[in-house]
This record gives sequence, C-alpha cells and structure tokens, in this order.
Amino acid sequence: MLRYVIRRILMLIGIIFVISIGSFFLIHLLPGNITAVIEGPGASPENQAKLYKLLGLNRPIYEQYFVWINNILHGNLGTSFISQTSVATTIGNALPIDLEMMFLSQILAFAAAIPMAMRSARKPDGIVDRFFSAGSFTMLSVPPFIVVILLVLFVTYKLGIPHTGPSSYVSLRADWIGNLESMALPAITLALGSFVVYFRVLRSDLIATLQEEFITMARSKGISQRRIMWRHAFRPSSVALLGAAGVNIGGLLAGGFVVQYLLNIPGLGYTLITSINTDDYLLVQGIVLVVSVGVVLINFIFDFIINIVDPRISRE
Amino acid sequence: MSVTPEKLLVVNDLSTTFATAGGPLPAVANVSFDLTRNETIGIVGESGSGKTVLSRTIMGLQPRTNVAVTGSVLLNGNEMVGTAESVKRGLWGTEVAMVFQDPMTSLNPVMRIGKQIDETLRVRLGMSKQDAKARAIELLELVGIPSPSQRYDAFPGQLSGGMRQRVVIAIALACSPKLLMADEPTTGLDVTIQAQILNLLDELKERLHMSVVLVTHDLGVVATRTSRIVVMYAGRIVEIGSTRDVFANHRMPYTRALLESSPKVSNASHTRLITIPGRPPNLLKLTQGCSFAPRCAYASDKCHQERPELQGADQPGHSFACWNPLPTTRGDSAS
Repeated sequence: MLRYVIRRILMLIGIIFVISIGSFFLIHLLPGNITAVIEGPGASPENQAKLYKLLGLNRPIYEQYFVWINNILHGNLGTSFISQTSVATTIGNALPIDLEMMFLSQILAFAAAIPMAMRSARKPDGIVDRFFSAGSFTMLSVPPFIVVILLVLFVTYKLGIPHTGPSSYVSLRADWIGNLESMALPAITLALGSFVVYFRVLRSDLIATLQEEFITMARSKGISQRRIMWRHAFRPSSVALLGAAGVNIGGLLAGGFVVQYLLNIPGLGYTLITSINTDDYLLVQGIVLVVSVGVVLINFIFDFIINIVDPRISRE
Repeated sequence: MSVTPEKLLVVNDLSTTFATAGGPLPAVANVSFDLTRNETIGIVGESGSGKTVLSRTIMGLQPRTNVAVTGSVLLNGNEMVGTAESVKRGLWGTEVAMVFQDPMTSLNPVMRIGKQIDETLRVRLGMSKQDAKARAIELLELVGIPSPSQRYDAFPGQLSGGMRQRVVIAIALACSPKLLMADEPTTGLDVTIQAQILNLLDELKERLHMSVVLVTHDLGVVATRTSRIVVMYAGRIVEIGSTRDVFANHRMPYTRALLESSPKVSNASHTRLITIPGRPPNLLKLTQGCSFAPRCAYASDKCHQERPELQGADQPGHSFACWNPLPTTRGDSAS
C-alpha cells in the first residue's frame, strides 16, 4: 500500500510538471500581441517594443518558463495586465465558489443516486427500477443549459421565488442563507448530470454484486436485507462509482462554466470565459494551471479512496 | 414452544421448480428423507443432479424470484417452505447454517474476515463489540487457524483456499447451529487440504453435537463419514439407504455407475476409470420414464415409458427407484 502511494505521488509530480509546460506554451502559441492590448489603440511601435522588453517577452522562451515556474512555486501567478490585480487573488476569490458548487451538487447527486440504485437493484426490471431507469435515461439526454433554463423558469415564474435568477449571486461570507438560495439552482443542475451517471453505474454494479455467492452467504447468516445491501453489496459495487465520481468532479471544476455563465456566478469557469474575451492571458494561464492540477489531484485522491474501498486493487 | 421433535429434519415431498424462459425447470422433485440428531447424511450425485438446489431449499435459501417450492421441510419443528424470509432469518445461523462450496467466492472480498465472523455474533446474538471479537478469535482457533488474532484483520484474499474454507466454517458455527449443511465443502480445494477440512467437520460435529448434511459428488468423501446416503439423479432420489447398503448392496444401476466411476486405491495404476455414457438429462425436456433410462445398460421399454417410484429393498430404510434393479449380493440372508 505504501509503495503504491509513493509510486502514485511520483507519477503525480511528473504529470503536474508536464501540465505546467503545456499550459505555459499553449498560451504562447496564441495569436495576438499583449503590448497592443495594454497600451490601447494608437500606441507607437517604439513604445510597444519598449513594453515588450520591459515585460521580458524578448528573452528566450525557456528562460521565461523558468521565471514563471519559479514564481508559481512561490505562490505568485503574476499580475493581470488588464485589471492590474494579482492572478492568485482573483483565482482565490473564484475557486471557493466552484468548490462549494461542486460540494453541494455532489452531496445531492449521491444522496439521490445511492438509495435509488439500491432500490432498483433489489428488483431489476421491477416497476420501481423501470421508472427510475427511464427517468434517469431521459435526464441523460437533456443538456445542462436546457435544464438550468427550465429550472429558472419553473422556480421564478411558477413558484415565484426570488434570489434564484441570474445576477443574484450572494457570497457565503455575506449571508449564508442567501448564498444557499443563489447556489441552489446551479447545484441542482450539476447534481442532475452527476446523479444520472452515478445511478446507472451503481445500479448495474449492485445488480452484478447481488448475484455473488458471498451475498447468499451473508443472507444465510440471518442478517437483514438492508444490512446486506449496505455492508456487503455496496462497498464492492462502488469502485466504478468512485471512478466515475473522480472524473466527474474533476470535470466540474471547470466544466460548470456553462451554468455559471448562464446564472452569473463568478466562479472559475465564469472568470475563465471573461478573461479569454479580454485577452487576459496571465489569468487564462493561471486558471488553466489551477484547474488542471486540481483535476489531477482529484483523480489521485479518488484512486486512493478506491484502493481503500477495494484492497484487492493495490494487492494485484 | 412445542416438545423437541425426535427428528431434527423431516423433508417431505419437496419440489423446487424454477420458472425459466424455456418453461418450468424441476430442479428438485418429490424428495423425502429425514435426519435424526447427531447424524450425518450424505447427498451424492453428478453435477446438475439437484444437490445444491436441494440443500438450499431445505434451508429456505432459494432465490427470491422465479422459483416455486412445494412440499414440506420441518427443521427442528419449524416449517421452512412458504415461510417469510423475516421468520427464516431467525432460524438461519442458530438452527441451520451452511458451509458453501467455493471459499474463493463465498467470503466478501472487501471485508476483513474478523468482521465477517463478528457480524453474525453481534446481529444475531446481540454481543458487544469486544465480546464478539473475543468469540470470533476463539472460533478461528477452533477451526484450526494459526495466530487467529492476527488473522482476524486479514482480508480473504490474503488467505489460502484451505484457510478461507476454515473461515467459512467458523462463520457457519458462530451461532452454534443444530444442523450444518455442507455443500461440496471441499470441491474448491486441493486434494491434500480436502481431507483436513473433512476431518475438521467430523471433529466439530462430534464436539458441538450437530447434525450434518454433506453434499458431494465424491463418494469417497461420504463413505466413512456418513451413516446414510441419498443418491440423486435429475432432481429425484433414486436410491437411499445406510451407507453400507448403498455401497455394498446398491440396487439402482446409477449408483453402481457412480461407484465405478470413482478411483479406487485397489485399482492397478493407469487403470482407465469407467465413465457413465451420455450426459444428465435436460430438466426442461424430461420424459415420462426413468430419467436415467437413456444412459442405462439395463433399460427396458418400461423404463422409457413409466417412472419407477422408490420401493423398499430387503434392508429397512433402504429404497431404490428402478424397474430392473441389480441383483442383491446379500442373497436371501436378509429375509
């Protein structure tokens, strides 16, 4: 187990190094001249050249990379040319919003998917299972931007609840009830997408596990159906579920941007879109780096959890 | 509570029929036998003869859907057929427990073995965590697992097949059942381990005053360990009697075929084993006659048209189902 963890950590460092190179050079491949953006229209070529040198853009690209990575290791992601604010501060303000959205949506998704999958797996192809499966399949085919618009329409017009439409984001520190109200719709939207995947994966694995001999053995001990489900069937059935959750949660870190954009929630995804629109490439670079490292870390954590849940994996 | 019945187990006209896409499949048909306290009975037959389904039906452990069970199983006075699972749950573990066939699949691979033993003790006997752990370690010791307190925390995958089967036995014994169903308890194990496990079962049976139903396809296993043998074919009992009668004085050609197909020490080396020609019948397409007739050297027209019922042989308790029984080797001495 320890050897496995060490090996994974070494791999993790390698991957993050490759990501840093990727996100650094990718931005340098973009067309456009930042000095023209900073100095605005009508700037003289001499001034542009001066600024170009001042920013260190005339130095060899590998030198620029080392300067950049050295700064990053010291927690300095640079200062945006556009807004003159520190990239780290901007990301630091946006990231907690994503994390909260992620957290809320995953709690909702698991809270619905686990009991429903267990109920379905108890009688595959029974009435309840057919109903749940058909419902989840319908949801699978509706994209989140449709879901979120329908939800907004339903909640504001039909239910007449304010604080749920766009431009009503309330920060968690200011007012946590208001924050939860403004987070409800995005969290539900993202939860629906995750729920469908989790429900389907867990349902089919539970059905397979319940056929196993050790389930009959557990039954022969005279323990309750509920206990068999939670203590014996759930854990060995949750490997694929955790795998799916790892990929899904990583995706949510930046993938919530459609929902964020539609509902004006200033998370990372929203900030990324605005920064691309304004050519704020240091900010784009910083967000790409943070998101990529985040995705890798989340996958690493889930791999680790899977190993604890199913000790057969690291033993092989 | 009523008075303790004399027979621990009375199986009467028990049938288990599965509903399949191809129609009803009679896996067990009209089986009757009984078992006294502290007795070991063997159930033998080829693969697919209904032994495992029979042993699970006796316990009431058949699948919950697509199965119809008729007849009666009285287990220490408790009817098991048609009884709600919640009632049977109260009997499982304490009245009857099962040792499963393959210890590679019958233990939960992601649960420490100690927890798997504890669970029964805590849920069924209401023991505290500490008491259950102490008892679980005692049980591991009882079934001959070395350094049991360390093994308590092992996962099944860290144990050998023989060790795992000992754990399965420990789980079955946890609530001191009166009847132990051993469903091919050694099939998944190395030959050298088989004898150890069987001897362990014998020893525990004596020590804990249990009755045992030993299900196997290996006649060598039942020869010295059982007082009586039930021979099954195509879901029915074709011969039943004391172990001695079944071995020495069997009347049903199938029993003889089974005996001849197991290797014997007295055979010269490289002796070719006699096999039974053909295969067990498809239970979905059973004929009117004796199920064994198509493979039987003694089959007559009658065998193909009419099924023989069990009839008494010359020894009490010995019955067989055959129109053309083998001649008795005992001569007239019995009558």
